Amino acid sequence: MKPSTLSLLRRADLLVIAAVFLVLGGVLTIQRTTDFVIFCIFVLAYDLLYGYMGRLSFGHMLYLGVGAYAAALSAEHLSGNPLVALLAALLCGALVGLVLGPIIVRTTGACFALINLAFNQVGFFMAVTALSDWTGGEDGMSAFYDPVLGFDFGDPWVVFGFSLICLLAVVYLMKRLIASPFGVLLRSIKENETRVQFLGYDTFRYKLVAFVISTAVAAFAGGLTIINYVFVTPSFIDPGRNVEVIFACLIGGAANIYGALTGGVVFMIISNYLPNYIERWEMFLGLVLLVLVFRFRAGLWRYLAALVARSGAKEVVS
Amino acid sequence: MSDDAILRAVGVSKRFGAFSAVTDVDYVLREGEVAGIIGPNGAGKSTFFNLMTGLYAPTQGRIEFRGRDVTRLDAHQRVALGIVRTFQLVSVFGSLSVIENLILSVLRFREGAMKPWRFLFAKAHSVEVEDACLAALQRVGIAHLASAPTSTLSYGDKRRLEIAMSLSLNPRVLLLDEPLAGLGDGEITEVLELVREVCKSVTLVIIEHKISRIVDLVGRLSVMCEGRLLADGDPRRVLEDPEVRRVYWGDKAVAAAS
Ligand SMILES: Nc1ncnc2c1ncn2[C@@H]1O[C@H](COP(=O)(O)OP(=O)(O)OP(=O)(O)O)[C@@H](O)[C@H]1O
Ligand SMILES: [Mg+2]
Repeated sequence: MKPSTLSLLRRADLLVIAAVFLVLGGVLTIQRTTDFVIFCIFVLAYDLLYGYMGRLSFGHMLYLGVGAYAAALSAEHLSGNPLVALLAALLCGALVGLVLGPIIVRTTGACFALINLAFNQVGFFMAVTALSDWTGGEDGMSAFYDPVLGFDFGDPWVVFGFSLICLLAVVYLMKRLIASPFGVLLRSIKENETRVQFLGYDTFRYKLVAFVISTAVAAFAGGLTIINYVFVTPSFIDPGRNVEVIFACLIGGAANIYGALTGGVVFMIISNYLPNYIERWEMFLGLVLLVLVFRFRAGLWRYLAALVARSGAKEVVS
Repeated sequence: MSDDAILRAVGVSKRFGAFSAVTDVDYVLREGEVAGIIGPNGAGKSTFFNLMTGLYAPTQGRIEFRGRDVTRLDAHQRVALGIVRTFQLVSVFGSLSVIENLILSVLRFREGAMKPWRFLFAKAHSVEVEDACLAALQRVGIAHLASAPTSTLSYGDKRRLEIAMSLSLNPRVLLLDEPLAGLGDGEITEVLELVREVCKSVTLVIIEHKISRIVDLVGRLSVMCEGRLLADGDPRRVLEDPEVRRVYWGDKAVAAAS
């Protein structure tokens, strides 16, 4: 590919992303592809903290789960409007981030990872037992949504289209955040937080902002998940599933928006289709990770991008 | 004399466990002064800087900035007042480009003009910001490296970058922790030249190991040893102090000199 084609693709990236998912939707089943799209939103939310700010969380399923239950409860108690459900998910995610954030963002490293996990476990327990009158406990609860402006959210293609638009919006949001002074600040915090304080920035405040954005977007993804599945179970808040989003970041390459998308899609393909062929597919996932860590440390996306750039350079020379 | 004090330490001590790194130090820095601090390894010089700039809270004592008690202020609040520092081991962001290293400092100084919303969503690399960053790089003579990855810079250029970051913060007082350490001879001359230029407009405290390098630069010299301030005053007078000569060159030098 010529460099000019490449830069054109980069400028029209939202279109390219939409096209890729439309093709996937045509090839795979549509509900699954919607799942891919939503998972990518979750990965983007996670990568803001992990990739850009350098904070690894073991408990992000909590925020996804809060959004999932908020969306389901909104359908039951507030309104059948899916947009209300998503707004409820977003606000609940932000609220949880605002309440827990001041405790969590003071920590780094293993402590940050584990304190998220601890809160996630509390949330899981509440969903399964303590609040089971509301959440339906182990059985979960179903959630049905009314049509909006003639769009029937029972139609998988409508949910797909809507989720895709949401993904593109989140990609745009993240791109703006990353390219802003705030993005520079997050990357600086990742490298040396103390130094940032000596540039006159109250890093606590900015870390909290990043954390709340991450929890809110994760919860938004949780809400979308429920609109796609029309039911919620404790598996959506299960801390054990947090590894999925970490794997996705590692596969695609952290601290990169396209890396997050690549990782999200590749992970979903592996976890959705491999079990059809290999019984112990988790073992294969382990092998994939080993190869990645030793061979493609910067992630698949950066590897592919470098490959394309090199072949482009060669073409220009010849 | 005391009303023009910009930075003052009153009876400041810092203990790490049972070990006292800084012991009961009284220090006054006057507006416009260029002060040097020397002392052997482990004397507590960097720890003293850390106390003044808010990296550590003192175990005892008080820090004042222009008569205001700042002991309990965080580092970033002290930077807002104009207390700015560099680090003994150069501390720049290796994962950013050179110009990106300056963005935060340049914006901090004008944060009043930057609404939170714009901080989150406006382009970091706007023409206006980049121009300000380039001007800051120009001042330390590394504008040609603006788009280079910082990790590829020589140690001396990183040092200059760090000084540029500090200057962009519009300091009232600048604390330089061994700015010449780890540099080659050519780089030392250049950085000294830069420091000479800077001290015309900013109150300066500079830690240095080799007295000869800064003795012409500073108007005042303090000697630290084992956490205490041993001597303080006119550089030449201080260097003639027998106690200072003893800790700095050992008894033999004193014997040889006499
Ligand atoms: N965070 C810390 N924890 C424990 N001990 C410390 C800490 N920081 C400094 N010290 C100790 O305090 C003493 C003074 O250290 P400091 O770095 O202030 O010395 P210095 O005068 O800057 O020396 P140098 O010329 O080597 O830079 C040293 O013995 C050091 O080991
Ligand atoms: Mg030191």
